[in-house]
Amino acid sequence: MIRFSTHPGGCRFQIETFVGYILLLGLLGSVTLLLIGMSWRWLETGTLQLDYSLGGMNLFRFMVAEMQLLTHGTISPRIIVSLGITVLLLTPYLRVLSSMLYFAIAEHDIKYTCFSGFVLAVLTYSLFLS
Amino acid sequence: MQVSFELAFVVSIAAGLVGAMSGMGGGIVLIPGLTLLGVDIKHAIAVSIVSVIATSSGAASAYLRDRITNLKVGMFLEMFTIVGALVGASIAVVSARTLLFILFGAVLLASWVALLLQSQEYITLADQQDCVSRWLELEGSYYDQAVRATISYRAIRGYLGGPAMFAAGLIAGLLGIGAGAVKVLIQEVLMRLPTKVSTTTSNLIIGVTALAGSSVYLAAGLIDPGLAAPVILGVSTGAFAGTRLLVRLTNTAVRRFFLVVLLFLGIEMIVRGIRGAL
Repeated sequence: MIRFSTHPGGCRFQIETFVGYILLLGLLGSVTLLLIGMSWRWLETGTLQLDYSLGGMNLFRFMVAEMQLLTHGTISPRIIVSLGITVLLLTPYLRVLSSMLYFAIAEHDIKYTCFSGFVLAVLTYSLFLS
Repeated sequence: MQVSFELAFVVSIAAGLVGAMSGMGGGIVLIPGLTLLGVDIKHAIAVSIVSVIATSSGAASAYLRDRITNLKVGMFLEMFTIVGALVGASIAVVSARTLLFILFGAVLLASWVALLLQSQEYITLADQQDCVSRWLELEGSYYDQAVRATISYRAIRGYLGGPAMFAAGLIAGLLGIGAGAVKVLIQEVLMRLPTKVSTTTSNLIIGVTALAGSSVYLAAGLIDPGLAAPVILGVSTGAFAGTRLLVRLTNTAVRRFFLVVLLFLGIEMIVRGIRGAL
């Protein structure tokens, strides 16, 4: 059985370490995708300039559009760069989601589950803005 | 105006470097830098707030693994900063550009004054906790390597810290910066949290606050991926190098250099704002 604790010493699963890795992986993933996208663009066209606008899209619609292009096998430097930005924007969102699950499942802390649920709800609403 | 990848990348590295070395964050140098290159201030603010997520995630991941960050304090305060950031970013989208220049200049000059008057006084931790902060469980402990002891602390005035954080979020969303200095000040002075806890928890809050602000700029169509890519890469590189360079440079040298940069950029932004208004 996995034991959860926020206190140092004698714990196998530490939420801080887990959340720390989410943030680190999110940042590294985003930077890697941006580097791949820009390198590909440079190799293909000899320029690093990317001229396109997201035109007032919300993050979820933006993600669906990217996924549709990817499933149709349309992959381009532009999509990789967009994915890099998406991964970065989703990193703090995932951090809040994992904290909420931790407070709910591991700590059975109703108060902080509600607090993180509120943060998550406001973020979800804001990411649906268009 | 379209700025070349290379120029945006170089300015972003410099902003990340100076931001990490001064502890003020990258946005405060990045936005004036980008506007000097000819980028529209609203696009500069939008792209800066996205880059703030990158620098905050990088720093917060290291601090979290050191187990100094207080997740509960962070989550409680985030409830206020994200609402503030949404309001701030919505105001920025409809504001006149001249007003944003003047406001940004004013924040730069306020940071200059804060840095000039900065004292090294230690925060005295509170013995008694009010009932609201106790109910909110705003307390914790961490192992301080410098003094080789476990420091236990209890925050106070959580009922004031929350609303004050709304203002910090508003500044962050409005101007596209982390506003870490304001967040640290609220936690230290108002809530009496130890400096290390305030700094690390502030870093965690900055990322979520920046995401709330970014979503408004994304919806307004102000995030340009062609500019965001070099800025995210540049600021991350600069911040990474800055934290390592810091050990080799003296604090006084960094502080003097940053005082000059802040004063110059603050005056320059206000002058441009006034000129634009005339």
